[in-house]
Amino acid sequence: MSTAALHAEHDSHHHDHKESFISKYVFSMDHKMISRQFLITGIIMGLVGMGMSLLFRLQLAWPDEQFGILETLLGKWGKDGKIDPNFYMGLVTIHGTIMVFYVLTAGLSGTFSNLLIPLQLGARDMASPFMNMLSYWFFFLSSAVLLTSIFVETGPASAGWTVYPPLSALEKAVPGSGLGMTLWLVAIALFIVSSLLGGINYISTVLNMRTKGMSMNRMPLTIWAFFFTAILGVLSFPVLLGAALFLIFDRSFGTSFYLSDIYLEGVGALENIGGSPVLYQHLFWFLGHPEVYIILMPALGITSEVISTNARKPIFGYTAMIISLMGISILSFIVWGHHMFITGMNPFLGSVFMILTLIIAVPSAVKAFNYLATLWRGNLRFTPAMLFSIGLVSFFISGGLTGIYLGNAAMDIQLHDSYFVVAHFHLVMGSAAIFGMFAGIYHWFPKMFGKMMNNTLGYFHFWFTFISAYLVFFPMHFMGLAGVPRRYYQFTLVKEFDVWMDVNKLITIAAIMGGMAQVFFLWNFFYSIFKGKKATQNPWESNTLEWTTPVEGIHGNWPGEIPTVYRGPHEYSRPDRESDFFPQHLPDETAPVTAPQEGEQTAPTEVVPQETVESSVFFAAIKRVLGLS
Amino acid sequence: MADISKFALLKTLFWFRKMKLNLFGVKSNSLFKKTLAIFGLMLTPIFLLAADDVVAPPTEFNPMAWDWSSILILVLAILIILVIARSFDIGSLTEKITGKTIVSWNNVNAWAGIIFLVVGLIGVWYEMKIHGKYLKLGDSASAHGETLDSMFYWTFGFTFFVFVVTEILLFYFMFKYKYDKNRKAAYFFHNNKLEIIWTIVPAIVLTFLVLRGFSTWTKITTDIDKNSEEIEVFAYQFGWKARYSGDDKQLGTANFNFISGTNPLGVAEDSAVSSLVNELNGEIKKLEIIKASIEDSSKLWKAQYDRYVSTGMSNSYPEEFKQMKSKYNDLISGAYERQLEKDIKRKNTAIKRIAAYQKDHETFNGTAKDDKITTEIVLVKNKPYIFKYRARDVIHSAYMPEFRAQMNCVPGMPTSFAFTPIKTTEEARASKNDPEFDFYLYCNKICGAAHYNMKIKITVVGSEAEYKTWLATQTPFVAPPAAPAAPTSPKADSTAVKQGTVVKN
Ligand code: HEM
Ligand SMILES: [Cu+2]
Ligand SMILES: [Cu+2]
Repeated sequence: MSTAALHAEHDSHHHDHKESFISKYVFSMDHKMISRQFLITGIIMGLVGMGMSLLFRLQLAWPDEQFGILETLLGKWGKDGKIDPNFYMGLVTIHGTIMVFYVLTAGLSGTFSNLLIPLQLGARDMASPFMNMLSYWFFFLSSAVLLTSIFVETGPASAGWTVYPPLSALEKAVPGSGLGMTLWLVAIALFIVSSLLGGINYISTVLNMRTKGMSMNRMPLTIWAFFFTAILGVLSFPVLLGAALFLIFDRSFGTSFYLSDIYLEGVGALENIGGSPVLYQHLFWFLGHPEVYIILMPALGITSEVISTNARKPIFGYTAMIISLMGISILSFIVWGHHMFITGMNPFLGSVFMILTLIIAVPSAVKAFNYLATLWRGNLRFTPAMLFSIGLVSFFISGGLTGIYLGNAAMDIQLHDSYFVVAHFHLVMGSAAIFGMFAGIYHWFPKMFGKMMNNTLGYFHFWFTFISAYLVFFPMHFMGLAGVPRRYYQFTLVKEFDVWMDVNKLITIAAIMGGMAQVFFLWNFFYSIFKGKKATQNPWESNTLEWTTPVEGIHGNWPGEIPTVYRGPHEYSRPDRESDFFPQHLPDETAPVTAPQEGEQTAPTEVVPQETVESSVFFAAIKRVLGLS
Repeated sequence: MADISKFALLKTLFWFRKMKLNLFGVKSNSLFKKTLAIFGLMLTPIFLLAADDVVAPPTEFNPMAWDWSSILILVLAILIILVIARSFDIGSLTEKITGKTIVSWNNVNAWAGIIFLVVGLIGVWYEMKIHGKYLKLGDSASAHGETLDSMFYWTFGFTFFVFVVTEILLFYFMFKYKYDKNRKAAYFFHNNKLEIIWTIVPAIVLTFLVLRGFSTWTKITTDIDKNSEEIEVFAYQFGWKARYSGDDKQLGTANFNFISGTNPLGVAEDSAVSSLVNELNGEIKKLEIIKASIEDSSKLWKAQYDRYVSTGMSNSYPEEFKQMKSKYNDLISGAYERQLEKDIKRKNTAIKRIAAYQKDHETFNGTAKDDKITTEIVLVKNKPYIFKYRARDVIHSAYMPEFRAQMNCVPGMPTSFAFTPIKTTEEARASKNDPEFDFYLYCNKICGAAHYNMKIKITVVGSEAEYKTWLATQTPFVAPPAAPAAPTSPKADSTAVKQGTVVKN
């Protein structure tokens, strides 16, 4: 790897120019600034998405009440203090879109891949800082277009975040499928461009720009997770772009990719024949399923790192974790049909998807057990980041287990599109990934802003959010098991669903509590950026490379030479050392340097289990197959 | 609005030119202007939309009408949170100054985890106790539902066990291994035996579940009784209709091109389809007349528009003016004419397609005449059924939770679901202790504004005789020859299919 040469060249043209406001804060090409931009945009989008969920939760809990404030806020969509049914759909759709794409894809991956890939691997910046900048600005533009679409006269897109045609294709079927939907499609197209620019960059940086000694199997699990995430994104987002393009053609140019045999009230029989709405679903979920792992994997990577650091203990099963991530990544491309069991697909195809889906549960289970084993006999420091990571593990388990129900085609007949699904994905993907994001923010805030956040506020933030997330999403399982459908505007018209009103009220109150809890966070975050205590060099006593860079963060990351790496990232509590951590960049004095092995244990031989060698052979073989080493 | 935004747009573009913007360069001397210009650029989508009047204007600013009490409560709550937050800040400061620990967060967090776990598990149990009776587990109203319920219990048993054990371990570890500066964490990287166990065991359990799921799923979807009675279930925005075959035991064919006010399901029946063709021809004529006179009407609209503007009525009747303006714009820009042409073309296509079908005797074989279109579904206990689903406009999903049945209804792609009801409505009422209970089929795929109220009642009766009595009260599509047959009169409830009507049952 000729990284050294690359860096040298990089160095020479970095130190001479003076940065202007624009090139420093707006069109910045520094990965640390871009990661801040992603984070803050993500937080803003997250607040919008959360605000929307509170609005429609209000409607679900008190459908007969009138809230004057709604009319103030929403104008004609909140006539007489009640949300309009069409706008309800719009809110749900935009809420889902914002949360999935804008907060947990761009906000999470964009922030932490950008921050950590160069810092933890020892690179001066991303492979292409310019593409990186473009990636952010496409994302920004995309966010602007999406937010604009909310104010359109006919309302925002309102066919659900999956925007299934024909509903999303026919303006006459629902008003939101007019201009609102066009803007949604434009926003998503821009988003995909941003995501591809970012992803390609992450992949090439990980493959080519690691510092001396940073072989692939010494990379922190965060980087592994970002790496697989980026690969998933690069392979699956183009398919969504294709799906969206066909939809644009159907909407505006009279093609029939997704449309056939449609009669619309007030219009008559449409000309389109031969298309298939189910085709769209296949294309969409070919992205859609990997997408949920695009959301989750970075959170899992962050959690691995945070748990290992704060348990003061090597992560249990480093190799197993990587193999699980790899297994999940590969399998995630061939399970999309589990979202479509009851679309009338061939039952045999359904069976195949069911089997593949339940196979993916195995690597996921392995990851959960590995987290537990890492905590076992650790010495846990409850930093806010650690608490959020533990919260993630809890959500990952409780949300992941219900996937076994939904992945089973037979049971999905009953559970599909019920509140059980809402409960499932909000726990395993929504809450888990958000908690991973919070863990990342609390853990790397000192690196991002050079300041410390307040721990006490973090504890409050954690406990209130954790409790309210469970209160909001756990009861939804029961509603789903009782057959309550999702995306319903109101439950009072059906007696069987009306009995859940008290639960709905509980959920909404808990959601409001959860919303308020974010004030702790926002205050802590913005106050600390400006007035926080100055960060120390290595506040969490962590092993990884990012803590060797200067606190105030300079362009090019390290003032002098980039440190060399001597071992894996998880050497905590080594029995032969005084302190309970052993940074990656410190050369070994005691033990002789051996060939890089699993988790890179260089500890005295008696603590290294014999099996290590076998598994690392396996690991090396996989690497050779993939051409990674 | 429009003028303002156009002005702003021009102004922005002007700035760009004047500044010879070099956005990506690093040298810059008019920072402020550049920033402004960039944000102007960002806002262009909004400007463009505002120019077309598609961005909703802000609501009138009227603080008197605001819900001040809620706002106050909200603000107060946030303030309280912030005060608490500050006091903890000060708390930690005193801790630092005095060197004494006031709150040991290490212990608090460890205990909080344990308390959360215990209270949470009690909460789950309590919720089960209160609402457990509503869960659709057991007491299924269909034959296959009983297999599903048993599979559910197996899955539940396994997952709940794992759930409880792992969550207990998680919070127990959190408690047991909380930080202690005198202790050092264990140093180990993995344990192959353990890892193999926890890979293999879930794999075995999952294999078991997959195999059961596989056989159940295959049985439900492919093992269908040959003697099942077919009922067509038709979904539209926003309601359902059912179609029973008549005496010939055959459902007539249907096609979306045949749908009309009197033929809501589009069945292939000569007289109804012929009258639809006439109707279409009439509409085309009307459209053509409108198209021919488009020039005259443009003049009229223009006069009207000018009058509104000159007399100031545009201000006093803003809503009417807005509508008129959009019509006027469509006329002037030719959009209206293009729309007319499109409509005519579409209707002609429909006529052509219908004509092709009419030549085909397979389609028009007369089996549709005695079909009965109904607004509720009546089934007989223990008799196997196949529901044949069709959708008129967008995707819907036919969801019958009591029968553990669901299938999407897709325009252009007929689907079906077979099941056997094993409980009458009366029996269900008795077992649920609710004399007003009814089975329903709900829509479970987002389909528009009234999605939440799109359902059809299902009644399961105990005997074939009861069912026959009910069916006799339903009118066939074309009344039998004995009765005087008027071409348009017999129809099954076509009035309910009106634009945007929410069918309430
Ligand atoms: C602030 C806390 C949140 C609350 C109270 C909340 C609540 C809800 C509810 C009740 C629904 C279903 C509405 C319906 O079906 O009628 C929903 C939909 C959804 N939520 Fe959330 N949610 C929250 C956060 C999140 C997060 C963090 C994610 C990220 C994955 C997320 C993603 C979604 C998605 C994808 C949908 C489906 C939208 C659709 O049906 O098209 N939500 N949310
Ligand atoms: Cu999936
Ligand atoms: Cu619907």
